Amino acid sequence: MSTPTDRYAGPVYTGSGAPGDDDEVVLDFDDVDVRFKTEFGSVHAVKGVDLRVRPGEVVALVGESGSGKSVTSMTAMRLLPRNATIGGAVNVAGKEVGRLSESRMRRMRGNDVAMVFQEPMTALNPVLTIGTQMVESMELHGVARAQAAIDRAVELLGMVGIPEPERQMKKYPHELSGGQRQRVVIAMAISCDPKVIIADEPTTALDVTVQADILDLLRSLKDKLNTGILLITHNMGVVADMADRVAVMFKGEIVERGTVEEVLLRPQHEYTKMLLGSVPRMGAGRGQMGISVKEDVDQDAPLAIELKNLVIEYQRLGKPPFRAVDDVSFDVRKGEIVGLVGESGSGKSTIGRCALGLIPAASGEFRLLGEDVTRMSKRDLKALRKRIGVIFQDPAASLNPRLPIGECIAEPLVVHKMGDRKSRQKKVYDLLDAVQLPREVYNRYPHEVSGGQRQRICVARALTLDPELLVADEPTSALDVSVQARVLKIFAELQEQFGFACLFISHDLAVIDLLAHRVVVLQNGEVVEAGPREQIMENPQEEYTQRLIAAAPVPDPIEQGQRRRERHELLRAQGEEVAELQLDDPDAFHGLSAADPEQDQL
Amino acid sequence: MLQFILRRIGISALVLLLGSALMFFATINAGDPLFDLRESRATNRDQLIAARIELMHLDMPWWQRYLTWLAGAGKCLVLQCDLGTSRDGANINSLLLSSAGASLRLVSLSVALAIVIGILLGVLSAIRQYSGFDYSITFLAFLFFSLPVFWAAVLLKEFGAYRFNNWIADPVLSTTAMAVIALIFALVVAAVLGGGLKREAITFVVTFAVVFGAVTVFDRVQWWRQPALGLPIIVLGGLAALAFFLVLTVGLSERRILYSGLGTVAAGVVAYFVTAPLVENPSGWGTILLLALVAAAVGAAIGWFFGGFEKKIAMFVCSGTALAFAFLVFMDQLLRNWGSFLQVAARPISTIGDARIPYAKLDGNFYIFIYNWGVQLILPTIVLTLISIAGYSRYTRSSMLETINQDYIRTARSKGLSDRVVYSKHALRNALIPITTIVAFDFANLLGGAVVTETVFGWKGLGDMFKTGLDFVDPGPVMAYYVVAGTAAVFMNMIADIAYAFLDPRIRR
Amino acid sequence: MNDKPTPPGDDRPEQDQPPVPGSGREGLSPEPMPHDPAAPQDPDVADEVSEGTDGELPGTRYSVEKQIDLTQKSYSQGQLVRRRFFRHRGAMISLFALLFVTVFAFTSIGYGIIPGWWKKPFWEGGLVENGGRPTLQIWPFVWGEHPFGQDNAGKDYFSLTMRGTQRSLIVAFTVGLVSTFIGTAIGAIAGYYRGWIEGVLMRITDLFIVIPALVLAAVFGKMANGGIWPLAFLLSVIGWTGLARLVRGEVLSLREREFVTAAEAIGTGSGRIVFKHILPNTIGTIIVSATLAIASTILVESALSFLGWGVQAPDTSLGLLISTYQTSFQNRPWLFWWPGMIILVIALSVNFLGDGLRDAFDPRQNRTAD
Repeated sequence: MSTPTDRYAGPVYTGSGAPGDDDEVVLDFDDVDVRFKTEFGSVHAVKGVDLRVRPGEVVALVGESGSGKSVTSMTAMRLLPRNATIGGAVNVAGKEVGRLSESRMRRMRGNDVAMVFQEPMTALNPVLTIGTQMVESMELHGVARAQAAIDRAVELLGMVGIPEPERQMKKYPHELSGGQRQRVVIAMAISCDPKVIIADEPTTALDVTVQADILDLLRSLKDKLNTGILLITHNMGVVADMADRVAVMFKGEIVERGTVEEVLLRPQHEYTKMLLGSVPRMGAGRGQMGISVKEDVDQDAPLAIELKNLVIEYQRLGKPPFRAVDDVSFDVRKGEIVGLVGESGSGKSTIGRCALGLIPAASGEFRLLGEDVTRMSKRDLKALRKRIGVIFQDPAASLNPRLPIGECIAEPLVVHKMGDRKSRQKKVYDLLDAVQLPREVYNRYPHEVSGGQRQRICVARALTLDPELLVADEPTSALDVSVQARVLKIFAELQEQFGFACLFISHDLAVIDLLAHRVVVLQNGEVVEAGPREQIMENPQEEYTQRLIAAAPVPDPIEQGQRRRERHELLRAQGEEVAELQLDDPDAFHGLSAADPEQDQL
Repeated sequence: MLQFILRRIGISALVLLLGSALMFFATINAGDPLFDLRESRATNRDQLIAARIELMHLDMPWWQRYLTWLAGAGKCLVLQCDLGTSRDGANINSLLLSSAGASLRLVSLSVALAIVIGILLGVLSAIRQYSGFDYSITFLAFLFFSLPVFWAAVLLKEFGAYRFNNWIADPVLSTTAMAVIALIFALVVAAVLGGGLKREAITFVVTFAVVFGAVTVFDRVQWWRQPALGLPIIVLGGLAALAFFLVLTVGLSERRILYSGLGTVAAGVVAYFVTAPLVENPSGWGTILLLALVAAAVGAAIGWFFGGFEKKIAMFVCSGTALAFAFLVFMDQLLRNWGSFLQVAARPISTIGDARIPYAKLDGNFYIFIYNWGVQLILPTIVLTLISIAGYSRYTRSSMLETINQDYIRTARSKGLSDRVVYSKHALRNALIPITTIVAFDFANLLGGAVVTETVFGWKGLGDMFKTGLDFVDPGPVMAYYVVAGTAAVFMNMIADIAYAFLDPRIRR
Repeated sequence: MNDKPTPPGDDRPEQDQPPVPGSGREGLSPEPMPHDPAAPQDPDVADEVSEGTDGELPGTRYSVEKQIDLTQKSYSQGQLVRRRFFRHRGAMISLFALLFVTVFAFTSIGYGIIPGWWKKPFWEGGLVENGGRPTLQIWPFVWGEHPFGQDNAGKDYFSLTMRGTQRSLIVAFTVGLVSTFIGTAIGAIAGYYRGWIEGVLMRITDLFIVIPALVLAAVFGKMANGGIWPLAFLLSVIGWTGLARLVRGEVLSLREREFVTAAEAIGTGSGRIVFKHILPNTIGTIIVSATLAIASTILVESALSFLGWGVQAPDTSLGLLISTYQTSFQNRPWLFWWPGMIILVIALSVNFLGDGLRDAFDPRQNRTAD
């Protein structure tokens, strides 16, 4: 499929701020081109990318999945798989990566250019201690040896804000939290004082408050150490928060570049506009992206969900049971969307699963559509389930790969023995129309369609039985923003049309702000705050809610700068620390690592 | 952790008990224990039958027989086993004592060899995925998987014993044979070292020339009957070991460690002359072990004093080199005594069981005894090792490939670590974790395989005891076999669990 | 480009389509999906087919969503697996070899109603001609009077070997089928319903750590007393545990997957969940380990016959032939080679077949057994 003419021929918008020829540049991509040979022919992943990063500057490379942004960054490390063919040139700190011998390239990795990866859970070796992994690269690059290296590692861990660094050195990665592990990865990345750091989606896997901390840390790092950062991300809020300059990638090419204000506030290219238009903004409330929600909920409508003092516990072998949900009460009226917000471990998904009768409650009342699910016979439960629809987070896992799409959607009808073959097929066609998918997908298989389309199929399946209640567990968090916008829009339209009640579980406050009538904020299994959307979003009372809202970034650099300052004030007012690199004397830091780079072993 | 282990022991005991009931029941129902007597034409046939019924308690219901057996076997817990008597009235305790040692030694040796070689091959073929080496290893693994054990054993007996014994009487190699040997060596070495077509071609040619030359020389000087290494080859081997340990740890360019390693080799040369009288005629294994320990200690000391920053690594490299050197010296002596062993045993490789010369009749030094003890082990060990190597290498390969694709390997590479460190420090340990679980199964499998090999090679071991027991429908020996095999398997399982916990910090504590 | 080959990192494009259920990487690849070569890469064309309802969202034509190409033929998972399998050269050669041996064994001396074209009965001795040497020649091809030679009593060794092959194949395939059936059922029940069944299953599996499978097979083989059907049945009783363990593991992970949770939430009965949603997704594991069970049964059966606890005279099997003639290696080596080679060929081709199937079902090769 790779014809010589598959280059994008449309306009490329170049704004200001790019480094001139005289500027010092630490990372320089010059017409980089990457193809992958696969058994189905070659894939042109990156098609001639030019990009430069100066010291002390953050350049964001933005794009959705498949845009080739990660592949571009990996060319600088020369860590692409062997079926990749790379064209063009990449210069790191003045050395052309493609021309280096393998041993010189290894000397460069970690020393001149370091990486911070997306998934802190898997980026550290589970069987080696933090200390071993920290010391390793310093000894390798001759920065420090033996006890000196250990001391420096402790110092670095302290710098990135890990408490009791000496103790953490002996720990294994699984004993640290996600945010702490990402701090360790960052400490590892700066240990040899690299000239440039490539941060590949460094905060995507983290909770929003942790994300804000890590971003603060990265920002102070570039300020204090004058390191250049290439930030790869899909999150426009993160871009607004961090970047000095932005390049937008689409299908392997940069379609627009410029300073962060230019690109985010005055986008020129259609794709950039579309991308920005698809991001739900914190505080912007309703009416974004053409999504509208029926506002008037009948306050006397019967309750669809009624929770009273719900407790859910997980049994653990040889330990007291773990209380995932503790004394939670709230309710959802018919026709109302209630947003359940919380970070990982808050118990929001557990409540969702309990609502579906998949996990038993330890105590408390759980009434669904007026009936108590905690003490219900199997048959009654099945009858009740006819009236409830469900959408899960992972579109890849929520459809049976062995069933054609039509059968997936018709499954509820078959299970509840409703209609005959003909009427079922008609119903499926109607639903496919409703979620704006062509009827021809009826006989296709889930692996033949993309993630967003699969999620729309899940929506269709949830609506097959015209449910009175829909439980949506993070329905859009695995999707790209433009795809998310589309799914949300379809969702809102269908809600208006069918008027079902909905328990909408999400970690994304902006999405909740866009859709929900009322919001329930959870933390560690307990309700922190609950109330109408306007009240929670615009005037939160509890500290946790305030922090949560303050931490969510918006895709507007000026507004985000403002929000950041407000957040820091809020943190200080609440007696917490703002994350930053604990470093007083940058010169001493540089001095140590510049000890004798030529003494490298290997 | 303790709770975990106790729980495992409890479960294992329960399973052992259930297994014994199953085995007992199945065995006594496996045929007619009186078959041979019913066919007999002896005049006192009825008397004989009655006597056997009496002896084997055939008049009792099965559970009563089982409980009787269990009561006796249960005393093993207080170290007073009573496993009953066999059909011929022999005491099974004493039968077991003579046979268990031999079989367990055989199986343990094979397991150890299979684990080491299998994992090594698996790792190499994973690192060289889709290379000629990888394909060959894969093919060989499949071949060994599909090889009927007994058939392979018979083949090995024919070629490894009969024909070798004929050949060693007057060892001359034809030029073709020499060329084939050199070719095989060259192919293997080139494939293992790898590194691009050109380098592989050079390796191939060089190895071929060296091996061919060596074999020719060996042939001329009657090396096959009078082998020896000699000091030069020992020193070369020591240097090779040093290079190996260096590559494994810090690379060849680390001066201080390289020099201390060279010092260790030099010390070895001195020790070669100093300890010569001791090594030439040691009083027993104790002396050898002591010398090995001394070598390791000297190596460690050299590493400690001259290692500089990296004392630990230097100590590891130096004592490793010293041990390798000592081993070569030992091998040298062993080889030198091959000729005298041939004088004692003209057809050295035994084919039928304990054809070795009885100890009392054997006259010779320590090394002759080693040969006498070792030659009977060689063939069955090869067979058993071959069966289980295939499993380990395949399993290691896939585990290693999976590990190499993990994120933390990418992190390690992004730090600038070389392939060597990435594979040995970051990947291997993670890849070994799932392998511990198959060790227990493999051990049981090999104990089963021992029944076949012992039959083919005529060993009087556990497997043979089992075979006669089953043929006579006599539960005594069969259950004795079960007690040993089961306990050994449970023990192996426990070791595997501990290894698992050792390798994986996530399940420790 | 002196780009040193490095093992693929996380960024590698999805090379094998479709992703295997359970690999956890389905469709979430950061790369373009390369599996439909005809898919236009041009962003201007890259929009979903047959959709006219857009327009509200700015620039939907720049959607990153892969379009549904309705001109492409649709493949189910099964069809894709079949296609990969037929492209696997080793597996195809093995399939051919296995079919050849099977057809040859059953048609040559006949079986039941199948008439044989080789008329020398395997139990009848005769005059030993030319020291019993095989008359088979490959080039020029000569079949001769006794292609595989004769044994000491002048029996035609070709007939004997074919008879033995028949016996071995019957036992192996019966055991493969029966133990797969038992193993799948028990594994699925244990994995889905958990509870005491799972406990019992795990203890039975532990049993096979303390009793070597071959030893139990020996005791059972002795019980069967030479009949191949009882032997096949008793070996199946031993053979199912491995598969049950595998299926249980697979079911355990599948039941946590969201499509199963979704089915439960809809109110699907447990029977339907197991048979419609879970088992079809374990078919790869089941078929692969059924093949491996066949391969190992061939070896176990012949080993038992060799030791005297499997098929017994006057009937014959490959293991028994080797056992009988192992001492004639010096004088009549062919009596030893033929049956051994046939066992090897069958076991090897079944193993390669299993490998091909594994690759076809799981192109990532990341299965680490349970």
